[in-house]
Amino acid sequence: MENVSYQRFPTVRIRDMKDDVMKFELRDTDASVANALRRIMIAEVPTLAIDLVEIETNSSVLNDEFLAHRLGLIPLISDRAMEMRLSRDCDACDGDGRCDFCSIEFHLNVKCTSEQTLDVTSHDLQSSDPDVVPVDSAGRQADVSGFDPPEHRGILIVKLRKGQELKLRAIARKGIGKDHAKWSPAATVTFQYEPDIHINETLMESLSLDEKREWVESSPTKVFELDPISQQVVVVDPEAYTYDEEVIKKAEAMGKPGLVEIYSKEDSFIFTVESTGAIKASQMFINAIEILKSKLDAVRLAFDTEEADDQFGELGAHMRGGGM
Amino acid sequence: MNAPDRYERFVVPEGMKKVAYERDMKIMNAATFTVQREDHTVGNVIRMQLHRDPSVLFAGYKLPHPLQYKMVVKIQTTSQSSPMQAYNLAITDLTKELDHLKAAFEQEMAQKQADYY
Repeated sequence: MENVSYQRFPTVRIRDMKDDVMKFELRDTDASVANALRRIMIAEVPTLAIDLVEIETNSSVLNDEFLAHRLGLIPLISDRAMEMRLSRDCDACDGDGRCDFCSIEFHLNVKCTSEQTLDVTSHDLQSSDPDVVPVDSAGRQADVSGFDPPEHRGILIVKLRKGQELKLRAIARKGIGKDHAKWSPAATVTFQYEPDIHINETLMESLSLDEKREWVESSPTKVFELDPISQQVVVVDPEAYTYDEEVIKKAEAMGKPGLVEIYSKEDSFIFTVESTGAIKASQMFINAIEILKSKLDAVRLAFDTEEADDQFGELGAHMRGGGM
Repeated sequence: MNAPDRYERFVVPEGMKKVAYERDMKIMNAATFTVQREDHTVGNVIRMQLHRDPSVLFAGYKLPHPLQYKMVVKIQTTSQSSPMQAYNLAITDLTKELDHLKAAFEQEMAQKQADYY
């Protein structure tokens, strides 16, 4: 039986972690894995979003499908999304939205009665499940003064004049970004290669102190530093290097080409993951790993593929030492 | 008017197999695997992992047409192994690598929380 493994052993170091932004370093793995995780975070991590809207009354200035489109784009807190079933896979219901396994129901019922324009926001959406609410309305304190600063007013859906009314029922379902961008939990997901900087020490020695200082300062970002005590040029922050090659051009201008060599390390990546708030950034990454694992599992060959094939079946049996 | 539904990109229709394979008639120890409804996300990962296997002589993937939602992986191995073994081994190794990554990430997260408090 084969017991070789060509597995890699990736390492992670988290630099900064907040609820919606996360910056971390991923090392000792291939660019294809980093890219696959990036693609999955953007397009295949499931979330919840409004998918079906039944409008009872709409006398606003926006037409029905316009409102339905805007409602779909509202991000909903989707911690439950991984466990929920996709609506088309759900056999417990007939898709009308009263099923707890695959859908969440929302109601919106507003009428403008005052002379002032009424802003209909995501705060006016009432959910049937208290865990699934529009992002940034959770944790909102009851307002006493009647005036909310812009960041707390919720996402604006439509504005109503006196006499205009909006009454609808919306159903949120699980989906992935590949189907429609409303289901994408990612604001941006990026990764960059970590730079590998080598200073040619013998060439560096041939520079005077002033030349060294001038060269260090030619970089737009602070990558190098002139150590005052030892009077050596040291690399202080390699990742601040933006691949602008200013230092290389300066070295050539000073008549010392090859003073520094900068390459990007092929197996070291710095990820920046920013979420819309539907899922926490760290949870998004973990979900992406799980989804990549399940995709690979789905793509695996069935056990009997080898035995069924005469040429390889025999070879396999021979390799296994005469079959078990 | 003729556009297929978006879910066609990732939903395998009834009766269609997710992975099908075909031995190459002209070359020894070579096979072509057709994976339905997958794209570069999975294809590139499997291909790069296959490159790490010394018994794999050739490994490549392509998406024959952007409007046909399938992917084709072609593998040729030495006689020490077979394309199917190489393919399954690549997937097994990738799964182990992802398990390792997840554990490392969760450990790092726990440590960050511990440092915070």
